Amino acid sequence: MPDLLQNILIILLPMYALIDNRGITVMNHWPVTVGLFAGLIMGDFQSAMVIAGTFQLMSLGVAALGGSSVPDYALATVVAIYLNARTGVGTGTSIAVGLPVGILAINLDVLTRTLNSFVTARSKKYLEQREFKKMQLVNLISVLFVALQAFVPMVILVVFGPATVETIIDWIPDWVTDGLNIAGGMLPVVGVAMLMRYMPTKRYIWSLLIGFVMAAYLELDILAISIIGFALAIYTYNRLISQKVAVSASGSAEYSEGDDFDE
Amino acid sequence: MNNEHKSQTNSSQVNKLSKKELRRAAWRWTVIGSNNINYGTLQGTGYAWALANTLRKVYPNDDDYVEAMNVEYEYFNITPYMAPLVIGTDVAMQEQQGTESLEAVRSIKTSLMGPLSGIGDSLLWVLYPTIMGSISGYMALDGNPLGAIAWIVLNLLLIWFRLKLFDLGYKSGARLITDLSDRLTAITEGASVMGLTVVGSLIATVVEVHTPLEFTFGEVTLGLQEEVFDQILPALLPVILTGVVYYLMEKRKWGFLKIIFAIIILSLVGSYFGILGVES
Repeated sequence: MPDLLQNILIILLPMYALIDNRGITVMNHWPVTVGLFAGLIMGDFQSAMVIAGTFQLMSLGVAALGGSSVPDYALATVVAIYLNARTGVGTGTSIAVGLPVGILAINLDVLTRTLNSFVTARSKKYLEQREFKKMQLVNLISVLFVALQAFVPMVILVVFGPATVETIIDWIPDWVTDGLNIAGGMLPVVGVAMLMRYMPTKRYIWSLLIGFVMAAYLELDILAISIIGFALAIYTYNRLISQKVAVSASGSAEYSEGDDFDE
Repeated sequence: MNNEHKSQTNSSQVNKLSKKELRRAAWRWTVIGSNNINYGTLQGTGYAWALANTLRKVYPNDDDYVEAMNVEYEYFNITPYMAPLVIGTDVAMQEQQGTESLEAVRSIKTSLMGPLSGIGDSLLWVLYPTIMGSISGYMALDGNPLGAIAWIVLNLLLIWFRLKLFDLGYKSGARLITDLSDRLTAITEGASVMGLTVVGSLIATVVEVHTPLEFTFGEVTLGLQEEVFDQILPALLPVILTGVVYYLMEKRKWGFLKIIFAIIILSLVGSYFGILGVES
């Protein structure tokens, strides 16, 4: 793929991902799904997935923050994949350069939400004035703002990025690049710890331990562990449902099944 | 404003809609959704945008349309996946009773937001990306795109799911949630168990902490990592790191940005003094 086409596509990708995330959610702005396409565009699939996987694991638990503005990990992923493919710096260093871009993007998200308030005010004004076509059209400006959230950082990166980053990285001592690679290995812990906080870890600590033992000692594949997790989920579901039935049965004596559970 | 409209109801006309025209509202929500989320009414504008064309069909009269749209512009905040259920209920009510129903529409909208988001946030917004993100992220670390592809396929199924939710809302409206809420709690708990099992495996596999420190006693070299830590517990250092980070976030209320910067500083210091290294 010619460089120019690559540049255009790599700018468009995170723009689309943001709009997609707020709407149809096919790619849904996750590092691995966006990284998959970034890898196809840049042509280095293997490294792209490694970078995307690291950001994906970091971003676990961020979804739990709900409506608030969170780092744009998908943008960070695209930035890192682009730098990795264009400059040949290692995946760990690419991640460390991409991460602050994603964090700075929080501010752009706040800005978009503020600007959208004005768009909304304008749209409601058109409603009162019975200009129904304009009332609808003006809302598309919001979509444009969302796209700009990724457009601005990506254009700066593509125009000034690779050469500048390469010069800076050549000048950086080895222990720093090593340190950034070490950080790249440790950073998924952020996502893991955030998940543990938002999920009922205390109530279901046994499932966490089972997962750990299966991975650390038995070295089972992630799919195998997921299937066992699914089995445990079915068990938990059935137990809760039969509890409910048992409770309502003792009240009304209409149900007799599910009594053999000793809870 | 009520009196004025009760006298007008005879003249105000309400059209019935075809299934395609109805579903259009669900599609418009699906495409734009919360793109125009704002600090004033959050998703209110997106909600109004989704219904704009459908309601125009329902109300040929401009005054009725403006009155109805003003209600739709109000504050709205929900897990985006669940919104079509509310939109379906909303359209069904207005199609039957016109502007008479607007007070009820407003209360239905505000009363459904909470419980639907409770279900949607935990199941679709948190647990679904947790499980899929863990699996696909883990696979991606080995350069394997299969998890990511499977995720996209499931996302496509969710589009179908949203249209179904709209139909459900249109047919049975609010009744559904009370009927299902018992079962949904059990589903959420079950999904949490599966999520935590995967999270437990992630601590051992994706969190990498490694020390190259070695002690030499005369002829014998003792690698701290292989001969001490790994013997005590596989993934001992990752477990400690996870515990410390969990403690700092839970008990010390550190934000995740602070944690990220702390980890980068720790890594740089560790690298400089040769305490931490990349596993070879």
